[in-house]
Amino acid sequence: MRILMHAIAVIRPRGGPFDAEIDGDVARGILSFLPHLPAPTRLSFPLGLRLLEYGPFLFKEGFRRFSDMDADTAARYLHHWERAGGAPSLLFQGVRALVLVNFYQHPRILAAMGVDWQARADERVAYRARVLRAVREAGGEQPVIAAAHGGES
Amino acid sequence: MIESGPRLVHSAPSGLRPPEHDLDYPNHEDGMSIGSGRERRRFAADIVIVGSGAGGAPAARLLREAGFDVLLVEEGGLHRTETFRTDPISSLQRLYRDAGTSSIMGRPPIMFAEGRCVGGSTVINGGMSWRTPERVLDQWSSEFGLEQTDAASMARHFDEAQRILHVEHQHPDTLGRNDALFVAGANKLGWRVENNPRNMHRCVGLNNCGLGCPTGAKRSMLVTEIPRALSAGTRLLSHAKVDRIRFRGGRAIGVRGHFVDERGRARNSGGRRLGKFEVEADLVVLAAGARHTPGILMRSFIFGGQVGRNLHTHPNAKVVGLFEEKIDAWVGAHQAHQIHQFLDDGILLAYAGVPPGILATGIPGFGREHGERMALYNHMMAAGCLVEDTGVGRVVLGPDLQPWMTFQMSSRDVETVHRGVRMAAEQMFAAGARSVLLPFGDMPELHGADELVQIDRRPRKRHNIELVTVHIMSSTRMSRDKRGGVVDAWGRVHGVEGLTIADAGIIPSSIGVNPMETIVALALRCAERWAEDLGRRRMRNPASPSPSTRAAGDAAAASQGSGEYAAPAVPGAAAASMTS
Repeated sequence: MRILMHAIAVIRPRGGPFDAEIDGDVARGILSFLPHLPAPTRLSFPLGLRLLEYGPFLFKEGFRRFSDMDADTAARYLHHWERAGGAPSLLFQGVRALVLVNFYQHPRILAAMGVDWQARADERVAYRARVLRAVREAGGEQPVIAAAHGGES
Repeated sequence: MIESGPRLVHSAPSGLRPPEHDLDYPNHEDGMSIGSGRERRRFAADIVIVGSGAGGAPAARLLREAGFDVLLVEEGGLHRTETFRTDPISSLQRLYRDAGTSSIMGRPPIMFAEGRCVGGSTVINGGMSWRTPERVLDQWSSEFGLEQTDAASMARHFDEAQRILHVEHQHPDTLGRNDALFVAGANKLGWRVENNPRNMHRCVGLNNCGLGCPTGAKRSMLVTEIPRALSAGTRLLSHAKVDRIRFRGGRAIGVRGHFVDERGRARNSGGRRLGKFEVEADLVVLAAGARHTPGILMRSFIFGGQVGRNLHTHPNAKVVGLFEEKIDAWVGAHQAHQIHQFLDDGILLAYAGVPPGILATGIPGFGREHGERMALYNHMMAAGCLVEDTGVGRVVLGPDLQPWMTFQMSSRDVETVHRGVRMAAEQMFAAGARSVLLPFGDMPELHGADELVQIDRRPRKRHNIELVTVHIMSSTRMSRDKRGGVVDAWGRVHGVEGLTIADAGIIPSSIGVNPMETIVALALRCAERWAEDLGRRRMRNPASPSPSTRAAGDAAAASQGSGEYAAPAVPGAAAASMTS
């Protein structure tokens, strides 16, 4: 958890609307994702985090832990992983994707970005129901539900 | 904490709901509820269909209406229209295989996503409904020698597919600003824009196609062929993953598998084993998709030959335009137009509105740099090119006994990707973008049309290109004999009686357009022939009862509660009522 929290702290966006303190939520979101991943990915994820933790010497960053690094050094170290190619890059991209998805879809971040997709969904669902009713009442096409039960569409 | 888990969210304050919220799904059993421990549940049917997507669902409806007792087996769950949400995290977990994290190994690796739910990928696709281009059909007919696959012969199947899918164009009041910019860019360059035919009924432009359409407008299998098939008497078994095919004397006689939970695992989160199942049937139809159908074949020891080979991926390279004006690309239809002018060169251009969390994974960098770019999310427009690939891919059985995919882009594919990316970027600049983010790791951004030449100069390297796909096909392709493919022109597996395939795997070659309608049309065409085959077989052996008839007899003879077969929910009158 300590390694993951440090990775989140480095990868997650900063500045402007993104300074919300939601790292704990992001971590919980990532952990909720893991059980849905295929077995090889799920099982190798903790191993990958440990490689990240003990891997600085591989990139000439000395014998220290990733989670002990300050923000700038940790960012430089992650850039090494990003550019390494092969499995290290894939691991980094996987962690990065999990952090970013959970970060940007957090309700507080969505609100800060001015995106309220769910409210629009609720409005559109009701709108379509009204449109279809109006069409039916005007003697237009038959409701689709009839087709879904075996009629003609 | 991020909210997760299904909830019923969509109904108007007045209680007025879209009709799809009231659909019935009779004859459905959920493997998560009925399976337990080491028990093996047994089912019988005339026909078992594995997979409920664009191939399996139409085949199930057609074969049931032809009078057969059909059991539809689906690994994912039945998620009703009104439970669909705009939150990608919970939606990916509920509706996508591997929560949307699958990939195709190769250089470069290609991210891949497919549905794992009742309705399959039709529940989570963009809803584009194009016919197979005529030049491709001509190729199937002339080069591959596949009977009745020419444009004229296929026309009635496409007509029927479009009727089922309720194909129509986007209503003008649903178009977003990103659509206007896409069209404007194309017009400025003199490129012809095509109006997307989409499987929908009065779409209202929510743009949640990829996470399930809560308005019910998208005519996925979930709201069309599945309820039709179930109302007609097809049985549906969800959360049931097929492990292998059962054989007797070289003939397929059914399938066996195990029940899974929402995560796709054989034990639920409480550690309880969910049990196994077995189906006996006269005809086995595999419609599990171009990845998992070859996986089932290989787990059933149908190795070698062309099984899993010839995989096409139709890769998609994304570009993101940054505009001065506010676009709000999440408002408006998912995708109303495409450019087909360059299809003969293997390039299709399109745009799509993407949720912030998903788009973010394709934006370069991390930390502050990433935040500075994503702060402009509402000024971004995502578009890209889909490439008709010529490379060679393969589905193999991994050490976890699941199908793994590999794909090597050809030099021509790499060139086509560069050309497609250049065109998409050029279109963005023509529409007024001030900069464009590219899918190249070593060339992340261009700041003006004068920099497009950098794409021309980029060495044609395979690595450092970010690609995604949702259109894999051809891994069990049609062919005249088993040297060229896995199934014949009617989806029947070469050399194996009673085993057929009806999914994207049977598509003989890369088609260059969204494949859903092709899959539906081929499934309908093949299913007609299977109904005739099975009818003739029954006529030849009238004394031999169908599996469901045998099961009903066994159940009656057995003492109460110990019958070997689960009693069919539909009277097994298939033999009497079948057509031939």
